[in-house]
Amino acid sequence: MTDESDSPMTDSDSTTTGPLAPDDITADSPFTLPGFFDALAAGKLVAAHCTECDTHLLPPRPACYGCGSRAVTLSEQPRTGEVISYTSVTRPPSAFDHVAPITIAVVELDSSARLTGRVDASLEDVAIGDRVELRVRDAESVDIDEEFDLSYEESWPLHVFELL
Amino acid sequence: MATAHLIAVGSSPLGKTDLPGRDLFSRALAEAFEDLPDPADVVDGLYVGAQSERYENQIMQGTLMAEWAGLRNVPAERVEACAAAGALALKNAVRDVRAGVHDAVLACGVEKMTAGGTEGATNALGAAFERALEQRSGITAPATYALLARRYLHETDATERDLARIAVKNHRNAVANPRAMFQQAVDVETVMGAPDVAPPLKLYDCAPVTDGAAAVVVANDEVAADLQRRPDAVRVAGVGSAANNLAVAERDLTFVEGANVAASTAYEDAGVDAADVDVAEVHDAFTVCEALLAEAAEFAPEGRGIETVEEPGDRSAGWTDVQINTSGGLKARGHPIGATGLLQAVEAYEQLTGRAGERQVANADTALLINEGGVADAHTVAHVLTAQ
Repeated sequence: MTDESDSPMTDSDSTTTGPLAPDDITADSPFTLPGFFDALAAGKLVAAHCTECDTHLLPPRPACYGCGSRAVTLSEQPRTGEVISYTSVTRPPSAFDHVAPITIAVVELDSSARLTGRVDASLEDVAIGDRVELRVRDAESVDIDEEFDLSYEESWPLHVFELL
Repeated sequence: MATAHLIAVGSSPLGKTDLPGRDLFSRALAEAFEDLPDPADVVDGLYVGAQSERYENQIMQGTLMAEWAGLRNVPAERVEACAAAGALALKNAVRDVRAGVHDAVLACGVEKMTAGGTEGATNALGAAFERALEQRSGITAPATYALLARRYLHETDATERDLARIAVKNHRNAVANPRAMFQQAVDVETVMGAPDVAPPLKLYDCAPVTDGAAAVVVANDEVAADLQRRPDAVRVAGVGSAANNLAVAERDLTFVEGANVAASTAYEDAGVDAADVDVAEVHDAFTVCEALLAEAAEFAPEGRGIETVEEPGDRSAGWTDVQINTSGGLKARGHPIGATGLLQAVEAYEQLTGRAGERQVANADTALLINEGGVADAHTVAHVLTAQ
C-alpha cells in the first residue's frame, strides 16, 4: 500500500459527468464503496464533485445532497485540511476498546470536502483550526478488532489524520 | 382531511427494569386503555417505534405488539429511524387517521436498552452512524454530539457551564414528573465535576440508557366523541419531518437545518407560529441538542439557545416565552430510544389537558414536539399539538 499519490486524479479522469448509467455502478468505480476503498488503498482519496453546485461528496455517491443534481464527476482530493471540531471517544464500541481513548475530528480538506476520522494525537494536542494531513493505513496497522469488519470490508484501508 | 386527536396516553416505568420489551409495552398499553374499551374495539392498526433488534434479538415487533394488545389481522408495523422511531410511529398513525384509512390507530414505542449493558447499548446505537468512514473510525453517539458541542462552544458565547445548566434545569423539572427516571435535582458543580464521556460532554450532558415503552391512541372526530370518558382529547394539528445527512462531517454543526424544516412544516400545517408555542419537548439526548433545537424551532435567536434555562422574562430579545422539556426531557425523564418520541407526546398531552400536576404550565394550549434520530437532524419528526 502506498501513502502518496503519484498520479493525481482530476475531474478529467472520470468517465462520466452523471447521471450514472447502471453499468457505471460497479465495484471498479469509486462511485461504489469497493471502488472508493481500492482507490484509497492505492493512495488516492476520491470524492464525487457536483458540477452544478461545486459540492464535494465523500465517499462518492450518485447524487448531490447540496442541490439534488446527478451531474457528478470524480475528483481526487487534497490530503491536507483543518480541524473543524474534535473530541475523544473514551468508551468506544467493543471492537475499539483496546485503542481507546480515540481522538476524533471533523476535518475540512482544502477542497472544502469534509470527513470524520481518527487523529493520531492525544486530545489535548488538538485544537480547532489545526492543520492536518490524511494518511492511509491498512486495517491491521490501526489495530481494530478483526470481528468488527464485515466480510466485504476486510481489505478496506482506514484513513487517519496526522497533525502538521 | 379528517382531524386527528390524541385521546389516551400511557407509559411504562422508565429506567433499568426487570421487564422485557413486550411487558414494558403491556404496562404502557394498560395505562392508555384504563378507561377505554378493549384495544380491538377502538383501533384498526398499530405502529411501533423500535430502534434495534440487537437488544432482544427480536424483529417483527409490529406483529408482537398487536398480539399483546389483542389485535389480529390488522396492519401492524415496526418503524425505524433510530431515536426518532417513536415520533415516526405517531406521524404514521396521524397520517392514516387524517387520510381516512383508519378511524383510530395505536402508536407505540418500546426499547429494552439495558439488556446488553452499556456496551450493548453503545454497539446497538453505533449502527445509527455512517458506516464506511465514521463507524470504522470508532465513533459513538456521545462523540458525534461532542463534535457538535465543541463547535457550538467555539462559534457562540456559550460555555460548558451553560450546557451544564441545561442538565440541571431538566433534572429539576423531572423532580415533579412521576414518570421520570431521575426524580432528583443535581447542581451545576455535580454536572461540571462528572467524568468525561466525550469532551466537552460529561456524564450529565448525556441522556441515560433506559428501558421503557409508551403508547398513545390517535383517533378521528367520531371515535374521539364516542369515547365520552375522554372528553379532553388534544388535537394533532401539525406534522413535519425531514431527513438530512447521515454523516456528522457533512452537516452544519451549529444549525440543525433538518429540524428547522420539520418544525417549520409542522407550524405551517397547524397554522401557528413559533411564538404561539407554550410548551415544547425537544430531543435533549445531549445537553447541546436542547440549545440547538431551541434555535431550530425558532424559539431563540441564533447562538442564544442556551437561554432555555432562563425564565421567559430573563431571556434575550427575540426569545419566545416557551417552556422547554417540562417532563425533564430525555436527560432526566429517560430515553428508551424507540419510545422517546411518544413520551414527548405523553408530556404534551398532560400539559394541554391540565394533568401535569406541579409542573403544569399555566394556560398551555399549544405544544411542539421534536424527536430526532441519528446524529442531530439526520432524521427529525416534529408535531404540533393543541388543546381543544
